[in-house]
Amino acid sequence: MYNGRNSRKIISITAFILLLSMVLLGCTNATNGSAPKSDEDNMLKIAWPRDVGEMNPHIYNPSQLFAQSMVYEPLVSYQEGGELKPHLAESWEISEDGKVYTFHLRQDVKFSDGTSFTAEIVKKNFDTILKNVEIHSWLGFISKVGRTDVIDENTFKLTLTEPYYPTIQELAVVRPVRFLGEAGFPEDGDTSKGVVEPIGTGPWVLEEYKADEYAIFKRNENYWGELPKEEKIQVKVIPDAETRVLAFEKGELDLIYGEGVISLDAFKQLESTGDYETSISEPVATRQLVINSTKEQLSDERVRQALHYGFNKEALVEGITSGYEEKADYILPTNLPYTKGNDAKVIDYDVEKAKSLLDEAGWTLPKGKTVREKDGQTLEVELMYDSAESIQKTMAETLQAEWGAIGVKLNIVGVELTEQIQRFKDNKFDINFFSNYGAPYDPHTFLNIVLSKGFGFNEAISAYPNKDELMKQIAEVPKTTDEEKRQQLYSSILTSIQDQGAIIPISYVKKTAIYQKDVTNFTFPANRDEHPFTGISIEQ
Amino acid sequence: MGTYIFKRLISIIPVFLLATFLTTGMIHLSPVDPAEAYLAAAHIQPTDEILEQKRHEFGLDQPFLIQYVNSIMKICQLDFGISYVSNKPVLDEVTLRLPATFQLALGSIVIAVLVSIPLGFLAGVKKNSVIDHFSRILSFLGASIPSFWLGYLFIFFFSVKLDLFPVEGIGTWQHLVLPSVTLALPLIAIYTRLLRASVLENLQQPYVLFARTRGINEKTIMAKHVLRIAISPMITGLGMNLGKLLTGTIIVEAVFSWPGFGRYFIEAIFNRDIPVIQCYVLIAASLFILSNLLVDLIQMYIDPRISRKEGQQQ
Repeated sequence: MYNGRNSRKIISITAFILLLSMVLLGCTNATNGSAPKSDEDNMLKIAWPRDVGEMNPHIYNPSQLFAQSMVYEPLVSYQEGGELKPHLAESWEISEDGKVYTFHLRQDVKFSDGTSFTAEIVKKNFDTILKNVEIHSWLGFISKVGRTDVIDENTFKLTLTEPYYPTIQELAVVRPVRFLGEAGFPEDGDTSKGVVEPIGTGPWVLEEYKADEYAIFKRNENYWGELPKEEKIQVKVIPDAETRVLAFEKGELDLIYGEGVISLDAFKQLESTGDYETSISEPVATRQLVINSTKEQLSDERVRQALHYGFNKEALVEGITSGYEEKADYILPTNLPYTKGNDAKVIDYDVEKAKSLLDEAGWTLPKGKTVREKDGQTLEVELMYDSAESIQKTMAETLQAEWGAIGVKLNIVGVELTEQIQRFKDNKFDINFFSNYGAPYDPHTFLNIVLSKGFGFNEAISAYPNKDELMKQIAEVPKTTDEEKRQQLYSSILTSIQDQGAIIPISYVKKTAIYQKDVTNFTFPANRDEHPFTGISIEQ
Repeated sequence: MGTYIFKRLISIIPVFLLATFLTTGMIHLSPVDPAEAYLAAAHIQPTDEILEQKRHEFGLDQPFLIQYVNSIMKICQLDFGISYVSNKPVLDEVTLRLPATFQLALGSIVIAVLVSIPLGFLAGVKKNSVIDHFSRILSFLGASIPSFWLGYLFIFFFSVKLDLFPVEGIGTWQHLVLPSVTLALPLIAIYTRLLRASVLENLQQPYVLFARTRGINEKTIMAKHVLRIAISPMITGLGMNLGKLLTGTIIVEAVFSWPGFGRYFIEAIFNRDIPVIQCYVLIAASLFILSNLLVDLIQMYIDPRISRKEGQQQ
């Protein structure tokens, strides 16, 4: 009774609901939630994995470097090939003893609120930073600043307590040495707890911001340099890489760029459609293997060299990164300052050589076994990788197979990034992945962590017979005022570190960008942390 | 009744104490120092001075018990501390993001209830019919497809290919559809089967036969008697899932870039932002307790026999 009569009714209700849904869905097609076209004209839409954070030039997490660099500017800018060019400072002089830096500031610079950029505000910013010297002490020159002086309205003097040549290079970093306008300072002047308003001299001004959703930057009409072509840039916060790709495919984004922001597979797939433009940057860092020479099996240079000879680097990089990274011959990319003179021996794949080196070191392969032994001990080592990074994981697996073939048993262990850093620092590793800091931090920052205890490197190279000499040289570099001597020192240090095999270069890491066909003039900045929006435009 | 509610509310206290203890303890067991994690996330080279300063700032240089007692004292004053990452009060950060999560959870509950009640009921009443098979397939899919995968599929088909909904973000009802449905499908799978089983069981009960012999209209029997009683296990299920639902938004929020609490929590875990993790655990724990309490109260209202039982126990 119930069944028969009602089934027709149910069918008709279902049909009605379906019809209604179709109508509703049809409506949504027209207004799918995005802003009307007129609002989007002249606005470049990009995605970023995290919220841009507070636009404060003097703090770190959670502020995103690229966004800070859109609003705030440095005295000196880092350009292609490591060239340091005038930016907010028109020119500078360095005293002979390398301690006094006098900067002549540009006179036509205004903050986004119309106030002038003067030596007074430069000093105020520096003094604020120096109030929290501990937190900024990682940046070498900060802890060496003795005093800051205003000479006249457009001249600012920085006096160091000891000579430190990378000062100019470090002034090009994104934080904390960029400049906030007077009205941005809180009443107590301490910006470490926040700023009143993000007022900078940069080409962009933060116009609208919704935490975890998006930030819209508009062109700074007061900008002293060439005005950006685009009026606005919207940064959408999309934490998931796959969603970023889907949003891009749908046309909700104009550009995706950065390091590892989308998987290389996705990049390759999008590129293969031919519907989009792609771009790959110059090397920004070197992916390295750090071999802990304090571990007994790895203390012999011949074993470390054998590991270097024992894997096909070219095939590994080509296979895993589809050629988007480049096989690396040196531990630092050669487009960084002072890295060109690295004479380290380039090591090519040579299995026989690897085997003979191991034999020479006393690690022989007993009959019927697959792992080499010496004095009853097996040649077994562990490689630690960041479990969230698919490239490291795949490389680890490949190395396991490659080294297995020369009789080295490689155990691979995936850990969370924070744990990887911690274990590296605590010297609790056999082999670890690492990549250097890139521009504008290197090469001096890389050498600095090799010099300092407690970062993993200093300990990792403990078995080097010339370690003390190396450390002395590394300590000497930043104090050297003679350019030629500096280059000599860098060449000798980098060559020696690499030749003894505790740091093996694998590949040069690059940034990728993919953009819609109407986006033109995209170029990667030379500074790894800077924004790439200068000159970019969307063809109408 | 009042005493019962009061007793249940009081039981939150030991759960709070235990949750705080566990979170503080787990952080101590983790091999990663939160100060190091903070610096790594900020791309700062960790020198000894900064580490020391950060540890002191976070209160991590104090013994475990003091840290534990301090957190308890602060939580009692509704002070969840300052986020290590953003430097802002955790409570402000959380209250800013909770509404979005609630919106998503509510959206999916509404969808789940609207779909599973008629579907489960009809599947039970018309056993082995087309609708029963359909509900079985839907439940099978809902229970077996992981949320994140389902999310990608929805985005791919309904957003990229058919251009019906936006891929990500929040603001309009269109933004809410895909994430809510993604979150609702596993719930629909459970509730539909629960209701179906319950309806089938109730149809065998003497009261149905009795009602029929009394000549009561079949529709009335179904709607006023069977459904009303059969729905009870489903409400229990719903209540038990309420807390789970709020914590379950984590993945869906990440996939759909939904600016909610779950996504914020994931970042907090990666950054070892202890105050945020602690606050999340406490909120999740109290939501579980409160939702269970709410379910019990609704059960009592629907089925007065339960309330009488409670009365007898007291």
